[in-house]
Amino acid sequence: MKYLNKRNILLIVVLVFAFSSIVIGAEGEVNLYTNRHYDTDKLLLDKFEEQTGIQVNVLKGGSDELIEKIIREGESTSADLLITADAGRLHRAKTKGLLQPVENETLFNNIPKNLRDTENYWFGLTVRGRVIVYSKDRVDPSELSTYGDLTDEKWEDRILVRSSSNIYNQSLLASLIAIHGEEWATEWAAGVVDNMARKPQGNDRAQATAIASGEGDIAIMNTYYLGKMLNSSNPEEVKVAKQLEIFFPSQETTGTHINVSGIGLTKYAKNKENAIKLMEYFSSVEAQEMFAKANYEYPVNPNVEPSELLSSWGEFESQDINLSKLGENNTKAYMIFNRVGWK
Amino acid sequence: MFKKIGFTNKWSVISFFIIVLILMPSIFILMGLFNPISDTWLHIRKYLLKDYVFNSAILVFFTGLFSIIIGVSLAWFVNAYDFKFSNFFKWGLILPLAVPPYIGSYTYVGLLNYTGIIQTFLRNNFDLVLNQSYFDIMSLSGAVFIYTIFLYPYVFLITHAFLQKQSASLVEVSKTLGKSPVDIFFRIILPISRGAYVAGTTLVVLEVLNDYGVVKYFGISTFSTSIFQTWFSLGDINSAIRLSVYLMGFVFIVLLLERLSRGGKQYSYSTTKVKPLKAKKLSGWKNWLMFSYAFIVLSLGFIIPVLQLIYWSIISYGKIVNMNIIKTVLNSIGVSLIGAFIILVSAVVIANTVRIKENILTKNYARIAVLGYSIPGAVIAVGVMIFFLKMDNGIQFLTGQNNILLLSSSIFMLIFAYLIRFLAVGFNSVESGFNKIGTDFHEASRTLGNGITKTFFKVDLPMMKPALMSGFLLVSIEILKELPLTLILRPFNFNTLATRAFEYANDEMIHESAILSLILISISVILVYSLTNIKRKGR
Repeated sequence: MKYLNKRNILLIVVLVFAFSSIVIGAEGEVNLYTNRHYDTDKLLLDKFEEQTGIQVNVLKGGSDELIEKIIREGESTSADLLITADAGRLHRAKTKGLLQPVENETLFNNIPKNLRDTENYWFGLTVRGRVIVYSKDRVDPSELSTYGDLTDEKWEDRILVRSSSNIYNQSLLASLIAIHGEEWATEWAAGVVDNMARKPQGNDRAQATAIASGEGDIAIMNTYYLGKMLNSSNPEEVKVAKQLEIFFPSQETTGTHINVSGIGLTKYAKNKENAIKLMEYFSSVEAQEMFAKANYEYPVNPNVEPSELLSSWGEFESQDINLSKLGENNTKAYMIFNRVGWK
Repeated sequence: MFKKIGFTNKWSVISFFIIVLILMPSIFILMGLFNPISDTWLHIRKYLLKDYVFNSAILVFFTGLFSIIIGVSLAWFVNAYDFKFSNFFKWGLILPLAVPPYIGSYTYVGLLNYTGIIQTFLRNNFDLVLNQSYFDIMSLSGAVFIYTIFLYPYVFLITHAFLQKQSASLVEVSKTLGKSPVDIFFRIILPISRGAYVAGTTLVVLEVLNDYGVVKYFGISTFSTSIFQTWFSLGDINSAIRLSVYLMGFVFIVLLLERLSRGGKQYSYSTTKVKPLKAKKLSGWKNWLMFSYAFIVLSLGFIIPVLQLIYWSIISYGKIVNMNIIKTVLNSIGVSLIGAFIILVSAVVIANTVRIKENILTKNYARIAVLGYSIPGAVIAVGVMIFFLKMDNGIQFLTGQNNILLLSSSIFMLIFAYLIRFLAVGFNSVESGFNKIGTDFHEASRTLGNGITKTFFKVDLPMMKPALMSGFLLVSIEILKELPLTLILRPFNFNTLATRAFEYANDEMIHESAILSLILISISVILVYSLTNIKRKGR
């Protein structure tokens, strides 16, 4: 094996170093840990870099993994900002002491109070609802009312919902714990399990598809998945989505469950000033439009109109709880799911 | 006589260093075992543990069983018979290895579900809507199918290579004694290739136990998903460690069974040139039957998923914005090749030390070297992260510069994690290479007064070239497909084909992920093809 000599080994070592130097950035930068991965986000960041000259370094990953990483990195963390797709996670980051509050007028003006942390440790950037989607053919919207009504026996073998390991279900149950208490939430979860059309499986889109295929009649899912399906490159998926309609539950009572994807400044941020500039930019009218549109979500900035599709679904009342509760009740929710056998 | 050589030669020192280095993260993890038991653990034990054990056991058992059936039978057929395209199948049947099981699972779900091409076709042309449960692949049995069809090549590959070299004389003797083909298969081939297919099945089983993507997507709770979930979602690192220890116990049993079934039997020839078996020409229906069997397996494991991905790539082509594909491809290739090189060098150093210097210490090297393959990716990731952060603390202390993460923000951390995770793959190839060449030539050279190092480069290495190259390629393929470690440990702005394909698929943008998956599979195919080429030339 003549290519295994000292010179070549040295060459490899040099290559490894060269390779790793890619990641060493310049001055005037900001480091972002995020679990959003939309191609349009890159365009947005390019624009920001162009306007400010600040270079944005991005590390993508699952929210939980990123939080764990920041915990492990401690004071010397390279993260300045953390974006996650769930308020519960932002709350966890806050309680673990990973974030710091930001007192900033621009952010206060752009982001309504209920969509940010009570002590301003994190700020929502986009909003989604967890709603009921129903078959236009087989369900009369007058049959639908609240989340609580889903345990009624008229829904026996008709409800489709994904597994409880999914954070959106955990946050939904966490919100119900916050509003109605643990006992009510346990009964509710058990009742939904009784009414399930099939064992939980697949993602949110799979639930919608199962309505079209006749496996069930209503599905619990996030608003943006319907948007994605209506714009899918698979014409069959568009067909499926067109058979479905959105219903915002609990409008007369406690409001529809919403969640945000949001951003927080890390406690040990090294580029604090740049980081706040980026937060401001994300909340601005210019960025909000694209940011929300990328994922068919509602913008947080009240000066930005939701996209045409979202406007067509109409306005809705959301749950009147601070989103921090989603994080506080997460473990409780998880354990209830296991106890009632929601796989 | 070689045991007497002083302990401190270069090989021993370097192996010892590598072994200590790869043990460090596991030690940091295991220290967590001494922490008190939490409520979460009691909850897990009461409600969930049964499921984890049951599901994992079912997956392992059936995937192992079917992989042996498919892998060994095909390996024997392509060796013993000459049928339509049998020469192509010799390497073609390894191709499913190029498809990461999680991509395979997304593809099959997309193919079979209500909006997929099969049901759409039936519905739009024949107005046929079948019971959805016929198409339900997101179940335990579906997962067994996915794992088997994409992982059986491990069994096929190793058994095929073994039969190619070892079976000719035995089979010919049996034929002259008038044994039937069925007899030969069950009484000769199965027993002599046991070591080979057990080794292959062990790889399959470890892959299954470690897999995260498929079971996560199918919603099946296994040890692997539960470790992720307990650690990251519940934030209970100690319970996650306890689960990992259970998993490692599971793996330990598997490895023990492997050792036992090998039972000290070694087939080694004093020459590297062994006469290959002469294949019997098939005609008529037997020819077609053989061809159909191989073709169906290959279709399920490769052709169908790839066609589906090509179709998705075409329909989503216009929607792709700013993908920056070239950089992603370069990252993937770069990190795979560099990682594989480092792993192979380490494997050679350790395996050679183990071979030459047998003592209590080195005997355990082999076990430690393969340990990483049995530890779930998430556990390695956090162990490595803690270890690198400790080293960074040391550097900060020495240089007086605070707040700089030199090592843990670099690509080294990821490559080091690959070393732990995949050393087993490289080590097995290297070890089998050493076993195959035996020690006769080595001892002859040493008796002539050459040192270990000189003997290695002049005598051992040239004979082991095929084994080393196939180890290198196998590791490259593994790294190319690797997901959890890369997701957690990569530095800023670093994306690979695997991470991006997963991110898209995870966001339910399966069409968008198709093109990345296709590129990933294409690169793997090139590596797989080179792998078989080397094997052919090495004969």
